[in-house]
Amino acid sequence: MKFTVGKFCFFLLLVAALSYPAPAQQWKAPTSMKKLSNGLIVVVSEDHSAPTFGLCISYGIGFRLEPEGRTGFAHLFEHMMFEGTPNAPKGVLDRVIEGGGGNNNGDTRYDHTEYIETAPISALDPVLWIEADRLKTLDFSMKNLENQRNVVEEEVRVNVLNSPYGLFYAIDLPGKAFDTYPNAHNFYGDFHDLDAAKIEDVKKFYEQYYAPNNAVLAIVGDVQTDEVFTKVDKYFSAIPPRNVPPRPKVEEPTQSAERRSVETDKLTKVPALAIGYRMPPRHSPDAVAAAVAGELLHNGQASRLYQMLVKEKQVALSVDGGVNWPLGTPFEFNGPALMTSFIVYPTSVTEDQLLAAFDANIRDLIDKGPSQQDVDRVVTKMRSDWYGNLENPIDRASALSHATLFDGSFDLVYQIPEDLAKVTPAQVRAFAAKYLVATNRTVINRVPAPKDKDQDTAKQPGGAQ
Amino acid sequence: MTLVQMIPSIIGLTSGMHSMRIFVVVLLLASFARAQKETPLPKDIPPYGPEKPLATPSVRSVTLDNGLSLWLVSEPGFPKVALTVAVRGGLAADPANRPGLSELLSKTIDQGTGTRTAKQIAEELQAAGGDLTASATKDSVEISSVVLSSRLDSAIAVLADILENASFPDAEVTLAKRNLTDSLEQREAEPRFLASRARDKVLFADHPYHVTSPTRDSIAAATPTDLRQVFAQRFRPDQGVLIAVGDFQNDKIVATLKSAFRFWKTPANAPASAISAPSVSIDHAVYIVPRPGSVQTTIELATTGPKLGDPDFEVTQVANAIYGGAFSSRLTSNIREDKGYTYSPYSFLASYLKAGEMISHADVRNEVTAPTLNEIEYELNRVATTPPTEEELSKAKRYIVGLEALRLQDRSSLANRLATLWVAGLQPEQIGISGKKVSAATAAEVDAVGQKYFPAHRSAIIAVGEEKVVRDALSSFGLPFHTVQ
Repeated sequence: MKFTVGKFCFFLLLVAALSYPAPAQQWKAPTSMKKLSNGLIVVVSEDHSAPTFGLCISYGIGFRLEPEGRTGFAHLFEHMMFEGTPNAPKGVLDRVIEGGGGNNNGDTRYDHTEYIETAPISALDPVLWIEADRLKTLDFSMKNLENQRNVVEEEVRVNVLNSPYGLFYAIDLPGKAFDTYPNAHNFYGDFHDLDAAKIEDVKKFYEQYYAPNNAVLAIVGDVQTDEVFTKVDKYFSAIPPRNVPPRPKVEEPTQSAERRSVETDKLTKVPALAIGYRMPPRHSPDAVAAAVAGELLHNGQASRLYQMLVKEKQVALSVDGGVNWPLGTPFEFNGPALMTSFIVYPTSVTEDQLLAAFDANIRDLIDKGPSQQDVDRVVTKMRSDWYGNLENPIDRASALSHATLFDGSFDLVYQIPEDLAKVTPAQVRAFAAKYLVATNRTVINRVPAPKDKDQDTAKQPGGAQ
Repeated sequence: MTLVQMIPSIIGLTSGMHSMRIFVVVLLLASFARAQKETPLPKDIPPYGPEKPLATPSVRSVTLDNGLSLWLVSEPGFPKVALTVAVRGGLAADPANRPGLSELLSKTIDQGTGTRTAKQIAEELQAAGGDLTASATKDSVEISSVVLSSRLDSAIAVLADILENASFPDAEVTLAKRNLTDSLEQREAEPRFLASRARDKVLFADHPYHVTSPTRDSIAAATPTDLRQVFAQRFRPDQGVLIAVGDFQNDKIVATLKSAFRFWKTPANAPASAISAPSVSIDHAVYIVPRPGSVQTTIELATTGPKLGDPDFEVTQVANAIYGGAFSSRLTSNIREDKGYTYSPYSFLASYLKAGEMISHADVRNEVTAPTLNEIEYELNRVATTPPTEEELSKAKRYIVGLEALRLQDRSSLANRLATLWVAGLQPEQIGISGKKVSAATAAEVDAVGQKYFPAHRSAIIAVGEEKVVRDALSSFGLPFHTVQ
């Protein structure tokens, strides 16, 4: 099956937005898709502005579906993908990519794990070879597992255990907001579970999920589409498909009451509040309005929460957040998600004062709704941010790969600005009235630990025992 | 915990000099053995394809009648434009009794003009698809926004109003001072902030380059008048550059900018004179920044490196990429991929107008503080004493040139790079010149900068963590200890 959108040049599509007087400028890049006989989906977008490329291969497995008793395993496994194969031992991957003038990385998220590279175009063939090679088999080495277990535990220390706030708004908040293991567990991993991971676990996870028919490979850059399809066919088509386990249900039982808790933090002197509202499913009618509401409340100094909490009432120092924040955009996930607010506030302010001001802000959104001008402004910003997310080949490859992984098509990547332009103030207001209510939220107040007591409170998040 | 059991060789380490020395010898042998066996690449891996020249940006330079420099990179197609304005004079130019004032300036410069409130500024920029980012470096203050090209004119209008008419309203300054004090408290909880603040104090002592942030006292003492004065001194067109990269036509944007900045005048008085170069003397000592409750030690080794425009700069970049500036570098291979001490080791050059720094960084669990320092010093000394292999050299050169091309594809990264060059008095062509110098670097040249900059005894050691842990762990090195904040 082969789809082609557009021709081999960029074009600007001018469409009149429904409500705003100025026409919205829409941008699309020519993009094509092909499915190999082993199920691997390949997406190519040509961009001849520089002699480089970006590549992303996303697998349909994230930490939501990692096994019980193995929290953090999807991410630990991601590290093992960089530890070599029988053909290309540990170190070859980085030597080849960096020696080709490029860079690489991997990211584990709720519903996907991505491997990304960018380099001058001369490195395309060896990079494709490397991606195909680690989809054939890995070096299942105990020594490398021990090494990466140490590295990952240092990663958890640097980002969680030794860090003020310890990502509590990203790890503890879903832990409290959700009730089932897939959505609530500590995705960075309890050390007990990381320590328990065995080489058999690595093998099994690889055999279950790392299959061509569970992956989307996207390539963006100074390439000819047909040539790329030929190259990918050459390197990947002999890799056999696997039986990938069917995706289990990950829906949550309904939340019926507000959830409040307090944590102490011995590494910070400034308190912070995290608030998470459960969101509608990604493709439900309210989903785009949810994304717009999230940005109206959180996007930059013009946002409603910044203006009211930081500037007007002066009860907060900073405000961050949005739908699926901070682990991705409001459009890139495939299961239960939160709209999260992370608010740092002065010690002179109480949690009640801050929450009262926050609630008044939400109440105002529900009672009056945003103005048309507010919606137009934030939608323009979201369009600009989304294009920013497509600017560099490596980022555009990521976006194309995620959309195709979740929906079987990359159309959403170019459709998002148009969908956003259709959102009305009434839809935002209706969304807020339905979802931004206390019974649908979880609040964690993270306060500095009392100084004189030697409390060991910087414990692991996510209910580690 | 099982972690400690996995690395029993480290437990006895803190007991004294004797076990330390044995440890060092063993590690040296192990590391040399590793370095010598560079595994050949797999036979069937395809070679790199034909090289396409990595084009350097084509910059049009224009000077307006008022003295404002414009550097313009027209890249039609993708519908965004990155705008950056830089003026000379940053943290190092602040009044001595107001350290860090430039940071307060960058927090308040967009908080009002004669005709726009802070909220109006934020909303107008959001309607153009952008945010405003203002930041102070040691040598400059820079203001950036990335906007939709269809809304470029309105973004330029807001930017011009700020640059000419920022008014630093009293109420906004009062709020910004309070929030900056609290945010200082917040940052002081972060090991990397503590490390960089201590590092520049140790390296630059009394020279103004030691300032990385304001202090509680300097924030408390700062007034709107201070800000207005510094703003008037620095934000004059003859001391600034406006850089635009993206989707516009050169002639059209020049006309728009001419009109937008027509009232901005260069005053008759001379601009502030440049600061002098610091004279740096470094003690190979351990500077502890106590951070109670730390489960890791954040270790930085800091020394001087080439400044911006220094003839050594590019070859030192190559040496740094071999040492710790890439994932496949020696430092990462050693303390992460071989020993698993750390997630995020790295080294980098921080280059300023009048000085440069070379920094190695690693956050490691408390138990491996000593062996990590040992390995970092070993790898520094290895660069200082042995030339790179052919593969290392060619990989590092290609990495730097390739990464630079990839980075400068990004509109805002290119705008920021050009701003740094302008502030340093360098031309846009420097990007291409630097690339050629990197590509031409020889093993002998890398060896020479290795000898010059890399010997470990040239570095001060900054350690942020539990004071007792650090002292116990590092006592066997026999180096002087100092406690700094």
